[in-house]
Amino acid sequence: MNKAMQQSWATMPATSERAANNTGQRSLKALCRVLSASVVLACCASVGAAPNAQQILSASDAIRNPEQPFGLTSTLIEYRNGKQVETSTLAVYARADSQSGQFRNLIRFVAPQRDAGKLLLKNGNDLWLYDPSSKASIRISPQQRLLGQAANGDVVTVNLAVDYAANLVGEETIADGERQNRDTYLLKLNAKTPDVTYHRIDYWIDRNNNQPVKAKFYSSSDHLLKTAYYRRFQKQLGVSRPTETVIIDGLDPQWVTVLRSSDFAFRDVPESWLQRDFLPRFKAE
Amino acid sequence: MVHWHGVSNTRVMLPAFGRDAQAQKQSSLAGMVAVFIALLASPCWASDADALSLADQAAQPVVARSDWQIFTEGMLGHVNQRAPWDDIRISRASVDMLLDTAINPEWRFTLANRVDWLGQNGRYEVVNTFKEGYVSWQASPNAALDLGRINLRSGVALGYNPTDYFKVGALRSVVSIAPSSLRENRLGVGMLRGQWVWEGGAVNAVFAPKLADQRQSAAFSPDWGASNSVSRYLLTSSVQLLPGFAPQFLLLGEQGQSPQVGINASILAGDALTLYAEYSGGRSAALLPAAPVSWHSRLAAGGTYTFTNNLSLSLEYHYDGAALNQSQWRDLWRNPADYWAYRSAVFNAQSLPTQHAAMSFITWRDAGFKALDLNWMLRRDLVDQSWQSWLEARYHFERMDWALQWQYQNGAPGSQYGALPQRHSVQAVVKYFF
Repeated sequence: MNKAMQQSWATMPATSERAANNTGQRSLKALCRVLSASVVLACCASVGAAPNAQQILSASDAIRNPEQPFGLTSTLIEYRNGKQVETSTLAVYARADSQSGQFRNLIRFVAPQRDAGKLLLKNGNDLWLYDPSSKASIRISPQQRLLGQAANGDVVTVNLAVDYAANLVGEETIADGERQNRDTYLLKLNAKTPDVTYHRIDYWIDRNNNQPVKAKFYSSSDHLLKTAYYRRFQKQLGVSRPTETVIIDGLDPQWVTVLRSSDFAFRDVPESWLQRDFLPRFKAE
Repeated sequence: MVHWHGVSNTRVMLPAFGRDAQAQKQSSLAGMVAVFIALLASPCWASDADALSLADQAAQPVVARSDWQIFTEGMLGHVNQRAPWDDIRISRASVDMLLDTAINPEWRFTLANRVDWLGQNGRYEVVNTFKEGYVSWQASPNAALDLGRINLRSGVALGYNPTDYFKVGALRSVVSIAPSSLRENRLGVGMLRGQWVWEGGAVNAVFAPKLADQRQSAAFSPDWGASNSVSRYLLTSSVQLLPGFAPQFLLLGEQGQSPQVGINASILAGDALTLYAEYSGGRSAALLPAAPVSWHSRLAAGGTYTFTNNLSLSLEYHYDGAALNQSQWRDLWRNPADYWAYRSAVFNAQSLPTQHAAMSFITWRDAGFKALDLNWMLRRDLVDQSWQSWLEARYHFERMDWALQWQYQNGAPGSQYGALPQRHSVQAVVKYFF
């Protein structure tokens, strides 16, 4: 790996700890990070060296996920047979673990009203659901879905490069979520541990800018669970990021969920928020 | 009218069983017909492009965030009773509100209250449950203090919680036997609570003073005599011992009783199974009058498995060393006055009348149809072999739930579920969220 590249990734957690207070500085840093990753990958390509699959995946993670602790609003709009059947709104707070580099997430249900105020705490495969009505925090398993078609792992922030080993298997030109052709790398991602949401992922990443384009998620029995298109790229927190993911069920293609992200903001996510005992007193500003 | 459980002033709707009922064959048939028609009318899906086109049209919903959560609920039902008791008609209207608001970044105020209008054969009674009212001071990101009436719940099991020490006397109006309802619709306890949280753990200290001697039955009484009849303290600490394993340790002190120790633990075993257990032990008297003081253990252990269709099955075993064994239970039935006084005390403590019990709970979200949830609870007394079944079908609209609930219980005379006059009941419930 290029030294600059190595330094860029090696300093990620440290940089997180030294989070600059100024949003402009943060945005600039994030932009520089993504640009440096892209430049390195472009150099690799120009000199004929085979780009490293894990580096491509990491660069794509950096497009999807801001480097600093952040918050956003996720809206899930679910369709069955062409009809909108459910809408949920979530507030997501994410912070990368200083040890593993993986994100830890606190999710607050905003709508529908019957679920408002519920909290989902995710730390690796540790999932806790807190209900303010009963004041109870219960452990749930990753298989327990709370959001219709979407797995809990779909709405949280995840660095795929931490959980998956990537192999570059080819280059393809495919239609993206906007129906535009894109030159992509096709990566095969295999879970490093069995406790992740998906056993295997086919992942298409734009060769020019590392933007995620499309993914196919498979179960341990190698059945296609869902297909996702990343689209509506907008400049958020200094980087052009996907603000919408269209998830299509693997068995029933008429089962579609639109996962829309908005209200991106760098924000302090204190360690205490990510503790189970803190859930009853969590109050978002 | 409303049934009174002996010394406890808790009013219990006689059907007092669960939330909903089974999907009827007729409605299933109608549902299948509706789905068939919908399939015929739905557009033909060709490719991912169709899904993307659909997504293009998705409108962003407008969501108004509020510190208030208010819902109202109405119920009509029928209770079938064993001879010589007549069947009864029951009804209920409820208003439940929760306010959780930040006064400023450091101070917060929480208020939760519920009013039930309970009807039986045309006669009505009002019961207000002042669930919570407290202020919180977040002194630092890691430290906080709370003062007021707080519904503090401990325990990891669904159907019986030995470490939920503040459940004793907390029920004032029981509208359902569903575990979630029993947890939600109860009085908090007046207390001062401090919390310190750090990465991987937390410690909580609670002091709940005695505030009154007797329960108050007045409709709108805050009923401090129910929640704070003795002074208590509770120390709890959660510590992450291993990745994914952070048990909670508890120590309860109560005026006139030896300290009780407890532990709550849960683990994830694979991507679909959770296992959990809770234990409480200490020297205490059994609930029978003049029972000797000795060490008693209480335990709940079980697991929840979630299938790929999002159906979750929970199985639990319950043990209460302070409850009666088979011979004691049989002997008690020979003296009805003592029998019902004992059952009343057990009910007030939300404990077990006999030493061994089992429970299964199935919950199935989107059960064949979008927005249809099915819940089924089966409790069995392993000492007298009586059992109780509660089934609910609940359909969600955006702001409204419709539910049908059916409860059935059976057992020999004098058994936990056979001694009650109610045999089965049906309730139709509508709930509206504001």
